Amino acid sequence: MSELIGRDEIIGMILSAVEKIKANHEVLTQLDSAAGDGDHGITMLRSMQAVEDTINDSGGASKKDLLHSIGWAVMSADGGSTGPLLGSFFVGMSEAAVKDGLDCRAVAAMFEAGISKVHKQSRAEVGDRTMMDAMLPARDALKVSGNGASITEMLKAAADAAADGAEATKNMVAKFGRAKNLGQRVLGHADPGATSISLIFQAFYEGLCHKNQD
Amino acid sequence: MAMKKFINDPQNLTAELLEGFAIGYGDKIAVESDKLVVRAKPKEAGKVAVVTLGGAGHEPALSGFVGEGMLDVSVVGDIFAAPGPPKVLEALRLMKREAGILFIVLNHAGDVLSGNMAMEMAVKEGIKVRMVLTHEDIAPGADAPAEDRRGLVGCVPLYKIAGAAAEAGKSLDEVYEIAERFNNNMATLAVAMTSATHPATGTALFELAEDEMEIGMGQHGEAGTGPSKLLSADETAKVMINSLVGAVDAQKGDRLMVILNGAGATTLMELFIVLAGVKKVLDEKGISIATARVGEFLTVQEMAGFQMFVAKMDDELLDLWGKSCDSPYMTVR
Repeated sequence: MSELIGRDEIIGMILSAVEKIKANHEVLTQLDSAAGDGDHGITMLRSMQAVEDTINDSGGASKKDLLHSIGWAVMSADGGSTGPLLGSFFVGMSEAAVKDGLDCRAVAAMFEAGISKVHKQSRAEVGDRTMMDAMLPARDALKVSGNGASITEMLKAAADAAADGAEATKNMVAKFGRAKNLGQRVLGHADPGATSISLIFQAFYEGLCHKNQD
Repeated sequence: MAMKKFINDPQNLTAELLEGFAIGYGDKIAVESDKLVVRAKPKEAGKVAVVTLGGAGHEPALSGFVGEGMLDVSVVGDIFAAPGPPKVLEALRLMKREAGILFIVLNHAGDVLSGNMAMEMAVKEGIKVRMVLTHEDIAPGADAPAEDRRGLVGCVPLYKIAGAAAEAGKSLDEVYEIAERFNNNMATLAVAMTSATHPATGTALFELAEDEMEIGMGQHGEAGTGPSKLLSADETAKVMINSLVGAVDAQKGDRLMVILNGAGATTLMELFIVLAGVKKVLDEKGISIATARVGEFLTVQEMAGFQMFVAKMDDELLDLWGKSCDSPYMTVR
């Protein structure tokens, strides 16, 4: 069967991410207090509020325009590094989300475009203790399972890869951002940015499962 | 943890502080479009504009230096967080002019990301703009790659010097060359004694024991070279100025600008005592203090400590430093 998803499913997935971050923002703040300046939870909360407001005000905007507006709104939420990076993710997705109904391969391509856009701005790699530690493994998982698997299976694989990537940051010393200057002091705590990305991909998967049950 | 600050809503700090700032200095600045601090009397369109961006919570930096002979626009972020690229792009569009824009960015991850993205978009729109990135922190070592060195209080004298060059009607390339010359001959080292509270989260930025200080501490609690036992003013001055002199390669006969920038809770009394200690060391080396400033330019809430800044000066830089300017927190007549 050729399974396709469209604007409604994508909105469902993104709103699921909004809820997930809202429910976990205190955990993110605790992680950032151990390894940064303690404002990551608040920044993510503010960014997700901007996402939700944009969706609520979107009217009949196309999937492409909506994703672009979401990205721009996240960038405008003044979140230090998080804003431009997370905003780039949605803007990148928008650039790839041209077709009406997206099949598995097109969904994979959409997320890959988003992650590649962030990667270009961030210039961090796996092992640098940033959100790329969750995003790049998720992109690899999408590439592997984008062919043949169902969309939910593919998102599950991406979420699992992001979670493993975030978990691995516990053993990393930062090479970017303020955590870099804390050196060994961050060891034992997962990177808050990578944790946020892992939560978001988990929520994308759960959001699509939920939508499919409707 | 209890936070002892006169605030209302921790999520609305930036908007409220800008409201008060505009009331206090309405003769010199205005707040436009929520987060853009602009000059009350705009500069002539034929002259290069000087624009910067950065988080709030460091008052009077950065917006306290918007005014005649200094900055044209400061794009304000949230507490310790860079403004997003859309707001920065708005500022560059506002200042679009044939003479061009000098865009001064401090080396912090969020500022650089926002600055680069906004600049990319601005250039695509045909806006003439050149960026100067400050990275004068020598805590990671004077030889560390530029991307590892943060931008600290050095942005403030840079605003003054670049602003004076722009006000004098110099071209963008000339203003850029002067700004880069100053930028490449300056160095800052910070020291912290007690922590500050993040005003939005209420958490301490770092921990230091009662009898400890940390040289190299950044302006958001970024760790420095590790805690050490508290030293006297003279001992602290000696350690820090020796590192700084080495970093800018100042030799006998050279003239330095020296700035002692209080972090928020360190008294002017202490800073003057430290400056006297700095002069003793420089005198021994035959290096003169051509100009000095002591005060609070870029603070970190109620953190105790200071940033010690030096720059090697030449005749042109000293002349520009002495030109008149009129901003809320720096005035030369």
